[in-house]
Amino acid sequence: MIFDKPTSVDLLAAINHFLDTKIKSEVPPHLAFKLRIVENVLNIVIREIEKGDELSNEVINLLQSLMESDTPSVETLALLIKEEKIDLEDQDLKDLLVTLSKNKIAVDNPNYSTFKKLIK
Amino acid sequence: MTEELSKALQNKLLEVNIEGKILNLVPLTGGASKEIWKFEVQTNHETNEYILRKGSGIEGPLAIKTSDEALLQQEVRKIKAPVPEIVAVSSLEEALGDSYIMKFVEGESIPRKVLRDAEFKDALPLLAFQCGEAIAKIHEVDVSKLDYLQEKTPIDQLNDLYVTYESFNQPSPVFEYTYLWLKDQDFGDTQSSLVHGDFRLGNIIVSNLGLESIIDWELAHIGNPFQDLGWICGNSWRFGHNEKVVGGFGELADLLRGYNSISQFQVDEDLVRTWQVFGTFRWGVICLIQASAHLNGSVNSVEKAAIGRRVSETELDIADLLFLGGK
Repeated sequence: MIFDKPTSVDLLAAINHFLDTKIKSEVPPHLAFKLRIVENVLNIVIREIEKGDELSNEVINLLQSLMESDTPSVETLALLIKEEKIDLEDQDLKDLLVTLSKNKIAVDNPNYSTFKKLIK
Repeated sequence: MTEELSKALQNKLLEVNIEGKILNLVPLTGGASKEIWKFEVQTNHETNEYILRKGSGIEGPLAIKTSDEALLQQEVRKIKAPVPEIVAVSSLEEALGDSYIMKFVEGESIPRKVLRDAEFKDALPLLAFQCGEAIAKIHEVDVSKLDYLQEKTPIDQLNDLYVTYESFNQPSPVFEYTYLWLKDQDFGDTQSSLVHGDFRLGNIIVSNLGLESIIDWELAHIGNPFQDLGWICGNSWRFGHNEKVVGGFGELADLLRGYNSISQFQVDEDLVRTWQVFGTFRWGVICLIQASAHLNGSVNSVEKAAIGRRVSETELDIADLLFLGGK
């Protein structure tokens, strides 16, 4: 990357801090609720920038060994399942679906109760 | 804008002989798709509190018209199930739009408050049984009078959800797996009933005595009644209280004791679990629908955009239920 600091994550974090410390106390209750959603969205983007590659690569590697393909993708796996061209009882498939779901939620909402339960 | 709304409310209320001054008209935190306003009407003798529930006129593919919700609530009241009293109904063409006015019911609907505040501490242990009873009552409504509702078998509904999911062109291995799994399940032998479609904390009003009122009927339809039992057990509706299977506050055994104490159909835990997977898939598709309204440009809403990233919650819940022994 050729860009100067602050990084994109720094910038987003600064916006979040501003909303949290300066704006939150100024808005009526029904907007405070929406403001919380805005802050959550910013946090999703921050986590995706920070961890997205690593979480995706882990799934792509698993897909590669499961599908024995050079161009594995989530879309192709979805198609294989749809057409029942893969053994639905295969433990590796089930494990992969669990990892895929966990890695997505690690960005989307790491506070989600099922995720917290599963990583305990 | 509030002034205009106030005027429209006043005119509508005049039609049902309620004449008075509209006071304290404030928006409440509602769902993502409806406006909810609270207001008071001051007459010569008294001041009464009301709620306006207003749709945009553009409903999602699963939702009914707001004015039909009102008709339905009136029907449900006849069998003495707890729902707020409807005062007036407005159609899309009128100044008030597709909406209705109902009497305000004292209590709390915000899930996190119900689960957290000391006021509801004694009510929570009773709530699962009461919800079971209320759901059984809903299922007793005479469906022959509800011709504005669609009737769908579980398989019709499942196929509709799948076609909707497919239309968004965002292939999900977990949803493909779930669809195949659900197609093979037994959904329970029963007769077509009124299904609330979204019975959970957030859509019920709770007081310190427990369940007071059932609100938000926009996902109502006619179908297999057990759907309502599985829905409230979905982890999405436990609001962080994963260990309490029913709505984040109760045990499945209590919900079923309440249900089976009234219903002519007897339900066991395995059947509820199948419906829990169905409900979780359904919520995942509803999230996709909501997000698509933002993505296709019909609305610009950060709420709707954000909900697209909640689909993964439902995928993880299904993976937990199907592969990891989750409850």
